[in-house]
Parts: sequence; C-alpha cells; structure tokens
Amino acid sequence: MKEIEIRAIVEGKVESPAVVSPISISFLEGVDPETGIIIDQENPLFGTSIADKIFVFPGSKGSTVGSYVIYGLQVNGVAPTALVTYDAEPIVVAGAILADITLVDKPDTDIISCIKTGDIIAIDTSKRIIEIRKK
Amino acid sequence: MFLTKYQERMLDGEMGVAISKCMELIVKIGELNNADKLIPIKSAQIAGVSYYTVGESIFSFLDIFSNEGVKVKVPSWLNPAGMDLLKWKDMGITKKFANKQKKIIQYYLDMGIEQTLTCTPYLIGNEPAFGDHLSWSESSAVSIANGFYGAKTNREGAPLALASAVLGLTSDYGLHKDENRVPKIMIDVQTDIKHFSDYSALGYWYGKNYHGHIPFFKGLDNSSVDQIKMLGAAMAASGSVAHFHVENQTPESKFVDLKSVNEKIVFSEEDKRKTYSIFHQIKENVDLVAIGCPHTSAEDLDIIYSYIKDKSLRPNIEFWVFSSRKKLETEVSEKMIQKLESKGIKIFTDTCMVVSPIVREKYKNIITNSAKAAFYLTRKGKTKVNLQSLEEISMEVFE
Repeated sequence: MKEIEIRAIVEGKVESPAVVSPISISFLEGVDPETGIIIDQENPLFGTSIADKIFVFPGSKGSTVGSYVIYGLQVNGVAPTALVTYDAEPIVVAGAILADITLVDKPDTDIISCIKTGDIIAIDTSKRIIEIRKK
Repeated sequence: MFLTKYQERMLDGEMGVAISKCMELIVKIGELNNADKLIPIKSAQIAGVSYYTVGESIFSFLDIFSNEGVKVKVPSWLNPAGMDLLKWKDMGITKKFANKQKKIIQYYLDMGIEQTLTCTPYLIGNEPAFGDHLSWSESSAVSIANGFYGAKTNREGAPLALASAVLGLTSDYGLHKDENRVPKIMIDVQTDIKHFSDYSALGYWYGKNYHGHIPFFKGLDNSSVDQIKMLGAAMAASGSVAHFHVENQTPESKFVDLKSVNEKIVFSEEDKRKTYSIFHQIKENVDLVAIGCPHTSAEDLDIIYSYIKDKSLRPNIEFWVFSSRKKLETEVSEKMIQKLESKGIKIFTDTCMVVSPIVREKYKNIITNSAKAAFYLTRKGKTKVNLQSLEEISMEVFE
C-alpha cells in the first residue's frame, strides 16, 4: 500500500478502482456526458468508462463548457467518484464544485506512472491522502 | 479570502441555493489562485449557449437558477448560439435542435441576460472602458477586452462568468492584477501583415509557440479593431493567450515596462508562409467558404463586396458569412445585404462556423480567412480547411 499526499479542493471520502489517462483530457468532446465513456480518439482510454471510477489525469484542456459536462455526468448518474490531477484548473474545479465530486490535486508523487488503471484507490480528504491498494 | 458580512451570508445560503453555488464557485477559484478579496465587475459575457457545444447537461445546470428566479446584477451578454434564430431552416438545422436551442436561450433571457448572441459584444456598443473589471468568457472577446481596450478580465469558464454575472463580483487574481499583465516576449513582425488572414496567421503562430504568455508586438502600427480581433482570436484559440500588447496601438503598451521582456523573437516571411501551409489541406473541390470568426463587421462586408462585385459565385460552392444581428441591423444597409445576397452569399447571424453543428456535418472542404475557425474545424480530423485572404478567396470561388 502506498500513500500520496494531496491538496483537497472538493472534500470527500471515496474508494473505487482507478482509470488513469496518460494524456490531458478535454471534457467537452472528450467524455460523453450521457454514458461517462471517453470518446477522444487520441486517448488510449478511448471507449473506457469513467463512471463510478476515480479518474486520474495529468491535466485538462479545451472549452470551459467542459464544466457542464462534468455536471452532466453527475445528473446522468455516470459521474466518476473522484477526480485526481496534478494542478486542477478552473474547468475541472468549477465542474467538480457544481457536481459535488471529490477533487484533489498537487500530489507529492507522479500519479500517472504510479497509479495503474484498475488499482483500487482510497481518498480521504480529511487526512489529505490517497492510498493505492493494488488490484 | 476576506468576505464582507453580506458575502458570507450569500455563501452560507441565506439568499438561496443558486446564489450560494455561485459564491462557492468564485470564492473557491479565488482561493486556489490566492485572491484575497472579491471585486465588482462592470459586465459579463457568457459562453455556453450553443446546444451543440453544451448538450443536454446545460438544462439541469440552468435549472439551479430558474428554480429560484435568479437575475443577473450587471449587463450580461450571450455568446453565439448553434443557429441563426430566424434563418435556421436555411442552414439545415433540424426542428429538434432549434427547439432545444430556443429553450436554452429562454433560460438566459429569463435571468435578464441580453440576447446579443455574439463573440464581439465590443462591436455593438458595449466597448469596455480602460481599467474596467469584467467577467468575460469567450476567448477572443477576453483577449480583445484586455489587449485592445485595456479592460481587465480573466479567461472565465462559462459557469464562472455566469456566477459572476449573478453576483456582480469576481475574485481578484490573474489579469485583474497589474503585475500579471506585463509582457515577457517581444515579437518583432518583419513581414507584411495586411489581410485579416495575415493577422490571424500571426496569432495562430504565436499561440502555438508561446502558449499562455503575454506578447508585446512590434510592427503592427495602424491596425484596426477588425484586424486586431483576428490576431487576438487566433492566439486565444491556439495558445490560450488572454492578453497582449501592440506597440503604438493598445492602451497599456504606452505604460508597459519592457524590462520584463526576456525573449525577443522575429516573425518572418518564412514563419508566415509555414503557418499558412498548415492550413492548406483541401485536395478536392471546395464546398464552403466560411467568413466571420470572430463575427464580421460592416467593414469586412464592404471588403468582400469590393472584390466580387463584377463576378459570380462558382456552382456547387456555398459562401456563408457570420455576423451579429445588431451589427447587421444598425450598421449595414439593406442595400448592401441585398447586393451580397444577389451574389449568392448567405449572411447568418446569432451563430458561427465553430459553434453550429451544421458546418462540420454538411461540409468537408472549407475555405476561411480565420485561423481560429481553421483550428476548431479541423480538430476532429474530418474537415479539410484552407486559410486564405478574402482577396484570394474571392478570386478562387468567384469567376
């Protein structure tokens, strides 16, 4: 088990399998708000669902309307349980606040290489840590 | 962050859920950016209007506001929608889409937001004043507000701009602070920049190479707002550039401390040529010319007509121009519109080639004079685009 220190932006306590994107994500046109499936063809995760998963991604890009996609995922019941990134920027922060999805950033470790898709991750923002429990 | 007693009560939910959510958004974003207070804004410009870009998600979000009958506190304007509100059938928009689009706009109107439906609010009588604090969201409008007018706005996300409009407040960080408005890179333009598409190519090149950095341009004297808007729009699209200076042109360029510049770059004829060559993709027949990204002014229309008045449009090519309804109604004569239409040119308002679904659905080989449009139209890889000047376009598609 490995622990990573983080900053909490939207508080929460969750445990789910991780889905790790190796590249930055555009929520608008990159994730289908109806299904939670990644639809960006340039992403190796193309076709993978982030619903009920902890979604780990290096950064975000694209239109600021992406915040509504994050909110839409919640309304449609296909939201990730938490979002983990290096440095959360406003699209993600606004989306996570609106949708009330746990959001953490500024990890003290390289999350993209040390967390693997399928790993079970536990986040407890009151302790400011992520625990990686290997699958 | 310091909050007044009243602001704290808004955050705590005393004025309802919508106000509280708005406060939560701007306070949290402010805190993450080390803002120490909220500041009043003069206006808001709100993206997230086209049903094509926002999808179904928007309705549940806008319900947060409509449930409590929330109104905006400052003059607020809408970005373009996914269709012309009157001529949507001519565009090929379906009735289903049109109904959804009208429903979105109605939500915004109910909040007291004006139905401008343009990315160029500054061309229809809403020029910001020097030093005004704003919450604008459309990336080209943000760039022009900061650079050309010397007003102060961050590149607000669509929800942030709406939250700011409702509160009349934003958090004090980023481009609201003078120390964050200084250029680090000087671009010495050493090639002829004359056409709108040249300004656009220069902006695209800069944004692609110097993502996010504020430039100081030399060598663009006597540029008009219409030319500068092409430059600003392209660098915002390719590089998220939200502010810029142009020597002898933009209001802050007079005061700017050039000691902060640590890199001097030349934009050469070769750089310009290479940028145009990125958007020289069409191998089959052209099926659409799309002009008006950002929305055209009366001047653009005059220029187009001057090139084509003795010619006619080649068959099997559509020629679409996008502008704002108010600009067209107040500054372009009926006669000019009839003259352009008699040449086969279709003028649409309230929308554009980037936010309307129909352009990408119906057309595969598009010529434009906007590098911003070229950038967005080619992002999914199915559309081929050529970037050319209005003069070249007119020669190519009119005979």
